[in-house]
Amino acid sequence: MSGPWAEQLALLPGYLVAHLQLTLAALLLGTAVSVPLGVWVTRRPSLEGPVLAVAGVVQTVPSLALLAIMVPLLGALAVVLQGAVGVELRSIGFLPALVALTLYSMLPILRNTVTGIAGVDPALREAAAGVGMTGRQQLARVELPLALPVIVAGLRTATVWVVGTATLSTPVGATSLGNYIFSGLQTRNQAAVLVGCVAAAGLALLLDAAIRGLEIGLAQRRRGVAAAALAVLGLLVAVTVGATVADRLGGGETPVRIGSKTFTEQYILAEVLAETVRREAGRPSEPVPSLGSTVLFDALRSDQIDLYIDYSGTIWATVMKRETLPDDRDAVLAEVGTWLRENHGIELVAALGFENTYALGMRRAQAEQLGIRRIGDLARVASGLEIGADYEFFARPEWTALADTYGLAFGKQRSMDSALMYQAVASGEVDVISAFSTDGRIAGYDLQLLEDDRGVIPPYDAIVLAAPALVRERPDVIEALRPLAGSIDAEAMQRMNFAVDDGGASPESVGRAFVEDHQAP
Amino acid sequence: MAAGECVFLVGGSGCGKTTTLKMVNRLVEPTTGRVRVDGRDTCDLEPHALRRGIGYVFQQVGLFPHLSVARNVAITLSLLGAPQPEQDARADELLMLVGLPPAEYRDRMPHQLSGGQQQRVGIARALAARPGLMLLDEPFGALDPVTRDRLQQSFQDIRRELGFTSIFVSHDMVEALLLADRIAVMDGGRIIQVGTPRELLVHPDGPAVSALMETPRRHTAVVDALLAEAGA
Repeated sequence: MSGPWAEQLALLPGYLVAHLQLTLAALLLGTAVSVPLGVWVTRRPSLEGPVLAVAGVVQTVPSLALLAIMVPLLGALAVVLQGAVGVELRSIGFLPALVALTLYSMLPILRNTVTGIAGVDPALREAAAGVGMTGRQQLARVELPLALPVIVAGLRTATVWVVGTATLSTPVGATSLGNYIFSGLQTRNQAAVLVGCVAAAGLALLLDAAIRGLEIGLAQRRRGVAAAALAVLGLLVAVTVGATVADRLGGGETPVRIGSKTFTEQYILAEVLAETVRREAGRPSEPVPSLGSTVLFDALRSDQIDLYIDYSGTIWATVMKRETLPDDRDAVLAEVGTWLRENHGIELVAALGFENTYALGMRRAQAEQLGIRRIGDLARVASGLEIGADYEFFARPEWTALADTYGLAFGKQRSMDSALMYQAVASGEVDVISAFSTDGRIAGYDLQLLEDDRGVIPPYDAIVLAAPALVRERPDVIEALRPLAGSIDAEAMQRMNFAVDDGGASPESVGRAFVEDHQAP
Repeated sequence: MAAGECVFLVGGSGCGKTTTLKMVNRLVEPTTGRVRVDGRDTCDLEPHALRRGIGYVFQQVGLFPHLSVARNVAITLSLLGAPQPEQDARADELLMLVGLPPAEYRDRMPHQLSGGQQQRVGIARALAARPGLMLLDEPFGALDPVTRDRLQQSFQDIRRELGFTSIFVSHDMVEALLLADRIAVMDGGRIIQVGTPRELLVHPDGPAVSALMETPRRHTAVVDALLAEAGA
């Protein structure tokens, strides 16, 4: 088996078990809530409509949004709980994904519980009462057993939904098969995307078939079929529980958790940090890839992750909410460092030495033809051009500042995945993009970056940030990372990005190779 | 009612037979008045406790489809917390009584039985906890005439053997005349006449009762005439 496949398949057991843990926990919780709720509702017919309507509304929230909204919701709850009872709650990672997926699983189970119980023959209710059953006995001995096949059918629908939706829990920090898909799409690693999709689909089919077997076994009272289905399900549960227990027991030292945003450079740099922590500090480390940018900062601030790489200008504009532009890179770095330490106890460990700034980019040929070299030149032709940018860009203060200062009004604005942006401009789908200055594809597609002649965009030095707890408790890790300061220039970063985006290398191998080379001399 | 008596409630559709019957085991709660069983007001007991002491058989049978024949028969015993061996022994005994050899039938599921067999199991189930009172709501109404006749015979035999009191709802006057000790004729929610089959045939009290008695009379006359012709 060739390199990229072997590399991806090596990740499979970990991702698969994490996916199962998340899925099974959500289904278990969803069933534990929905079945009693469904029973309760059948006893109070006036509530049936409202309860099913609420569950239906939850279902209509796009699953990605439902997952994402759990982070701030749990964050707020965490603050309350911390204040009230001193309980610590993790608002990123397993918990938000679990809550969202549980909510997502509820409607089919709830609806089928109600339908199943309502479908019990009235003659059987009369017989049950007639032989002297109490209300509770009628439920336990007659109504639930007879509704069970229908309830299991609902569970089966929920299972397929949850296995699929769990792949979207990567951005809230929960490991799943979605890690393959998110990082694979960003780094254009087709092997990763394929392995992730096939594994998720395979898992959904397996669980679907097992529960289908259980359903048939129950409905037709075929013990053998039901037992075989239960054996398959039991095996999956045993593997999951076993892995969870092994995790807890064999844990040893808690690994240093390293977060990353959802683009290639971040995956590479997270691996650079992880490898440095392993080699230089001799500590275990664990990547938490593909988190949303504001989720990351909150996670670091609350010690849910230990390290990540951000950019000085992002902290300056989006976190510190400064509107004025400082004179130079070093002044911004110094002020950001002081502000983070004083306000959040976060340590700015090192500036890596390069900037990854937003820069407007065009095809070189088109820029030359239109005579555009600086952003200032764009204003007069912008109305006839189309701009494409990543999802955040048009909502960011940098865009507002650019548009205001240069008077930019493009004919059309399109948001798209940052991984597709470069291809879109290269093929002429759009004319201008919000490129990242270190992206390898700028050189690859022969794009021209336009000079920010009025200095609107703040400097974006890549900086290593460390969580308050890490600073307090593991100073050796901080010291091990300090030598990374100034170790990567823009050209080196572009090369590494290009090796992943166009050369088919994995971020892990590129990151590790950098640490080896850096250390060698 | 006297102990061991079999009283039929008869009358046209909607006259209140079934409602009256269900008030006895509180499947329908009486709005006024009182029902006494063995001298005790039924409202003094929890409904489920009351029902465990009263056998109930109805037209739809209502065997639990997910339980075997034996488990259906023993259900009330299981509710009363009887040990498993006792439940099994009683189920076999009752299956024997209703004419279903236990070795062959105890492990079958309800859907594997004919309609008549299902109602035999229904009767066995109602008898499991040795009730002093049986309520039967048109138990044979959905069966074909031959099967109905056999079950009526069986019921009569079982009643003689066990001596329970029974209230039987039917709109089949022949059935009432064959099985009842006394018949109560109902109309518009009220009992308009109570008497033995003979009294009702000889001294019907009013046109409604006469009309009810007319059908079996006419049928008998036709059958007699046919027999007489054949004999001649």
